[in-house]
Amino acid sequence: MRFTPTELTPAELELQAEVRDFLAAELPRGTYEPALGMGADHDKEFSKKLAAKGWVGMALPKRYGGHDRSAVDRFIVVEELLRSGAPIGYHWVADRQTGSVINKFGTEEQRERFLPIISRGEIGFSIGMSEPDSGSDLASVSLRATRTEGGWILNGTKIWTSSAHENDYFICLCRTTPMEDGNKHQGLSQMLIDLATEGLQINGIPFLDGAPGFNEVVMTDVFVPDENVLGDAGMGWVQNTSELAYERGGPDRWLSTFGVVEQFLASHVGTPMGDRAVQSLGSMVARYWGLRNMSLTVARMIDQGAAPSVESALVKEMGTRFEQDTLLKLIELVDLEPSPESASMFERMFTAATLTGPSFTIRGGTIEILRSVASKGLRS
Amino acid sequence: MSTTSHIKPISAPDVNVDELLSDAAAKLFRNVSDFDAVQAAEAARWAPTVWKAVAEAGFAWIGVPESAGGSGGTIADACEVLRVAGAHAAPIPLAETGIIGGWLLACAGLPLPDGPVTVAPGRPDDTLTVTVNADGSATLDGSLHRVPWAAKSDVLALFDEASGKVIAVPNSAYTTDLLTNMAGEPRETVTFAAASIPADAVAEAGPQVTTDALRNRGALSRVMLMAGALEAMLNLTVDYCEVRQQFGKPIGRFQAVQQHLVWAAQDAALTKMAAQIAARQAARGDARFEIAAARSLANECASTATRQCHQAHGAMGMTQEYALHHLSRRLWSWRSEWAHPGEWSGKVGRFAESVGPQNLYPLITAGSAHLS
Repeated sequence: MRFTPTELTPAELELQAEVRDFLAAELPRGTYEPALGMGADHDKEFSKKLAAKGWVGMALPKRYGGHDRSAVDRFIVVEELLRSGAPIGYHWVADRQTGSVINKFGTEEQRERFLPIISRGEIGFSIGMSEPDSGSDLASVSLRATRTEGGWILNGTKIWTSSAHENDYFICLCRTTPMEDGNKHQGLSQMLIDLATEGLQINGIPFLDGAPGFNEVVMTDVFVPDENVLGDAGMGWVQNTSELAYERGGPDRWLSTFGVVEQFLASHVGTPMGDRAVQSLGSMVARYWGLRNMSLTVARMIDQGAAPSVESALVKEMGTRFEQDTLLKLIELVDLEPSPESASMFERMFTAATLTGPSFTIRGGTIEILRSVASKGLRS
Repeated sequence: MSTTSHIKPISAPDVNVDELLSDAAAKLFRNVSDFDAVQAAEAARWAPTVWKAVAEAGFAWIGVPESAGGSGGTIADACEVLRVAGAHAAPIPLAETGIIGGWLLACAGLPLPDGPVTVAPGRPDDTLTVTVNADGSATLDGSLHRVPWAAKSDVLALFDEASGKVIAVPNSAYTTDLLTNMAGEPRETVTFAAASIPADAVAEAGPQVTTDALRNRGALSRVMLMAGALEAMLNLTVDYCEVRQQFGKPIGRFQAVQQHLVWAAQDAALTKMAAQIAARQAARGDARFEIAAARSLANECASTATRQCHQAHGAMGMTQEYALHHLSRRLWSWRSEWAHPGEWSGKVGRFAESVGPQNLYPLITAGSAHLS
């Protein structure tokens, strides 16, 4: 484990200024309800505009419509979007992970087919990992794919599939060979599946706060052609374990409640804060500063060819816990009975954050799993 | 991780700390500030062999210009040595002699003594009165609290805000009591009884010296010491959990114990990063945001990591025979030195309040540069 401090170069600072100018023009404060980090609304127009600036698919190769930009450049764009609560939901998953997975493991034909539309912000991906009996233990997936002429027939259920009802595709982990001798890492494959395919049914599962975004995806004899099997069949586990290893420590793992803190400060404009409030705010601001520097270091390490999987896990574990801690600090400071219909933006955002907050330390790898990953490389 | 050890800082060539300096400091402190030396210092209220080795290597005066009698180098260099000293619980007034007291003396053009220098951190119950006389001499009355190793220091470097003077107070001008901090390090009450300080030991402080600048240096020194101690404490704890066996296996194999280690590792990494960035910024100039933020983080991390590391050690960590207490007791002490934790987090909060909600994130990304 090693975190070497870094900082933005003049060119990177220029990009930051450009993104800030763009967002100030596109999303003036007070004209929209800021999202809580990556749990943002789908806005296809916004995704397209962002793509037109070259800020979607930044890390993908130019020859597939991407931009060959660095992990740090992507970090700069993403942190500004997240801290502004921009409506990035439509392209978020494809931009953060599906694009790089297809680039890394997909066939040439898949790269040519998917990467340009990902980079144009014209396709929304969901992730089909969890099943009713398979959560953190990903290798235990049992969704069955059976060989048929020119492809595979899929039967089974995926669950907790965010935004499947409004996305175009999902990347689905399934079992192409039955498990043998208890070796559950063998025989898994990932498939790129059009969510409009016949036999595929999406049933909404209302999220804890009543929002529709969660889903069950039931597949009955769904045909997936061979050309939609990601890379080589049977390589699903290897693809999956490397997929998120380095993406874990990004700004989406510590900025989810930043907007709430910003609104807390906004609600105090004109009235000096008491010592207790100002100390609590200062403690949060200091931690944002520290976490951002660690997270930026992870991005820099990726650009320098390192493999910061332990560092990423460490940042994600502490970042997501911090996202929840900010809410605990704030509730100590404000006298309110939170309501989702409140006229106060701070109160509405606080309510939404509290209701969705438990998911911060669950999604994309629970903190228990992350601790286990991080504990393997603790020596500094 | 060894796979990532080749990572070099991308920028900041202006204030990069040479790895040779870190290595040399690590070697020296490992040799002289070992378990026995730290343990003995507590009883003797002094560690002459540690001081002698550090002074001979010139480490005590890094960050103080050579023209002023120092060893040269930047404040970032001095901070790196402090971080290493913290990792070895070095029981000497290293920061007081260098980046705090040495800086005060150098700014005022006063000579550096051969031996240690100390500085009073400024406690609310201090009663010192300074009278600068017509002939340029000064008369001191009253007391200063929590002064590190005052009895063993050649000079107490004093900044008198009212007169704008730095005073090099000789050891002979004051008496001391026997107070210590929670780690058994002398934090003495210094008392003056109409002490007369000759004019050649009283000088204009110069424009750099302000009470805020002094306190920031004090705070930065504690951040560096804490960063070093946290990292050393983590390593000690990880080692222990690999060796100590219970229920037939090393306790580090239990997930419940791993959790303590991971949380302590986060605290250590966060503090180290914050400390190094604060030091880098201090070498460039205005670092008020970075120092306050780093200090706020270091204070919190010291509190949580000592808890995790003690828990992982069980009863072993509760004895004076084992090194954990050299680090944990210092961390508990340092977090309260040079102003209490709430003052530093409050400072960061006031910076945030002053820039307002629209500029909160720019403050987080640009730090002190956003304030000026």
